Amino acid sequence: MTELLKELCLLDGTSGDETAVRDFIISKIDGHCNYRTDNLGNIIAFKKGKKAAKRKIMVDAHMDEVGLIITNITKDGFLKFSTVGGIDTAALMFRKVKINGRINGVISGKPIHLIGDGERKKLPKTDSLYIDIGVATKDEAEKYVALGDRAVMCGDYTENGDNIISKAIDDRIGCAVLIKLLTTDCEYDFYGSFSVQEEIGLRGAKTAAFGIDPQSAVILEGTTAADIAGVAEENKVCKLGNGVAVSFMDRATVYDRKYYDAALNSGINCQPKAAVAGGNNSGVVHLSRQGVRTIALSVPCRYIHSASSVANKRDCENMLKLAEHMINGIASGEIP
Amino acid sequence: MNIKETLFALSSADGVGNIREASDLAYDLLKEYCKTEKSDTLTVIGYLKGESDYTLMLDAHIDQIAMIVTDIDDNGFLTVAKSGGIDIRALPSRRVTVHGKEKVAAVFCATPPHLSSGEKEYTDIADIKLDTALGAKAKEIISIGDYVTFSADPCELLGTRVSGRSFDDRAAVACLIEVAKRLKDKKLPLNVAFVLSDGEELGMRGIRPVAFKVDPNEAIAIDVSFGDGIGISEDECGKLGEGGMIGISPALDRKISQKLIKTAKDNNIPYQTEVMGERTGTNADMIAVSRQGVRTCTLSIPLRNMHTEVETLDIKDLDSVCELLCAYILSGGAMND
Repeated sequence: MTELLKELCLLDGTSGDETAVRDFIISKIDGHCNYRTDNLGNIIAFKKGKKAAKRKIMVDAHMDEVGLIITNITKDGFLKFSTVGGIDTAALMFRKVKINGRINGVISGKPIHLIGDGERKKLPKTDSLYIDIGVATKDEAEKYVALGDRAVMCGDYTENGDNIISKAIDDRIGCAVLIKLLTTDCEYDFYGSFSVQEEIGLRGAKTAAFGIDPQSAVILEGTTAADIAGVAEENKVCKLGNGVAVSFMDRATVYDRKYYDAALNSGINCQPKAAVAGGNNSGVVHLSRQGVRTIALSVPCRYIHSASSVANKRDCENMLKLAEHMINGIASGEIP
Repeated sequence: MNIKETLFALSSADGVGNIREASDLAYDLLKEYCKTEKSDTLTVIGYLKGESDYTLMLDAHIDQIAMIVTDIDDNGFLTVAKSGGIDIRALPSRRVTVHGKEKVAAVFCATPPHLSSGEKEYTDIADIKLDTALGAKAKEIISIGDYVTFSADPCELLGTRVSGRSFDDRAAVACLIEVAKRLKDKKLPLNVAFVLSDGEELGMRGIRPVAFKVDPNEAIAIDVSFGDGIGISEDECGKLGEGGMIGISPALDRKISQKLIKTAKDNNIPYQTEVMGERTGTNADMIAVSRQGVRTCTLSIPLRNMHTEVETLDIKDLDSVCELLCAYILSGGAMND
């Protein structure tokens, strides 16, 4: 799984520009299931199991990651940008970026020596940051970059013991698990959606859910873990290594209670996501058409939406097991 | 290796405190061109013999900004202190290297969005813990006093621009190695001491004993200075790609400044001037007051994003600096001025 996760994380795919990730996923699932791509770019897959499922199940993971979009070029050849999805300014300052997957850039700023004492303690505004690609004029920049081009923060993939440090673990871990599910023989039929544009407001999953028209859904995600030094126990949300985070409620969804209980009682290592914070594709999937019973399973992830998020390998493996458990339980009727 | 390859190799090697990678690499490169000695610090000195007793010392510092571990907790989170000037606002979620018994990748903690209310104040680096992602095992590999360095590898931007860590002052180290290479078989009117000095980032300490030891007649400190960029006014910076910045300051020897300018003009070498009202903030300040005083000047490479892991410069400026230093040395420096 970690080999697959590494390959997925190192692909660039900001929201609305998921082609590289989509192509890679198709290369992996091709021949193992039926699939199509919908009008927004979601991959909709159908996996034939040994038996028909009692309920139609959709398993979702989003392909996109947070990044940047070029909005203007200054006369000196610096690129102005907007963020695509939520990124903290601190994560952007003095960061190496890659534009269109091939042009190196750095997010440039005033050096600490030239900043007054008052200014030093506060973050600058994101709109005061610009990308330097090494040219000195607008004309020169326009030979390489067009408005609307995308950039991602560069980040390596490293394993420290049981933990992984990488960009884009949110939500390439979901993609990795869904690829595994679609390429392994299974008991019951189910649908998979690799969705686009989650980070800019859960857009892809809306049309994917309409297209699949499921009765039940399992959303695979990476979620904020605050189990870091200096954070009070009650604010940690979930902890790396303590298993899959299972949501009861977040800012977009109140989850199906029976599914939530079934996950926690599965015997597979998992933990409640102990905060009503954030949101994921469940927000649109559970409201699709006449409503969908939905559960979200997440890998706890520190420093989410940065070039260096940290997750635990065992949690990743457990998400695969728990997803299988939920699909089989819902499809067979064992989970009512 | 061409100068860009030398710079990239020196940038990828770390050099601070007991971390000798950059110093050892610079020694190996410099000793190909002149008699070179190591020391018990990171300092490396190379000597090219000339035809007089007059010695010109060229200085570039080999040390880099870093951080140092002051505490390790049971869950693998470190507290660090600064070793040199660092913008702590840019640390959250940044990946760095901890130089423990082995090198460990680690990430500075970022406050998750659900816990950040309002505008955060960045006052003390000790408040931003460093996550080794190793849990309790961190204590087996990492000790208090271990160094922490940035980890971004150097990369090419478009044209002749490049970006990476520790270009301050490996860019100048690369220049000195290149100058030694170009001059090694030339008849020189004066002796040249190539000093790659330690301890600049902690207040120009390392150069003091070295300047005393070399006891030069004249010196030029080659360092980086502020390059043009967003939010920086034109009067406080040099322009990338327009040549080395020749220092003019009350703390510097005016005749060396003038001779450097004349040499640049005579040989059509691009240059800029950098006029400073007081001291220079470089090793020149220390060299000038060594022993009974040393006639000293600065020559600076314009650099963007100083003291970050994406320090950015134009390779053309390194070429200009090397050409200027070679021409200056071959014309006898300020020996007769």
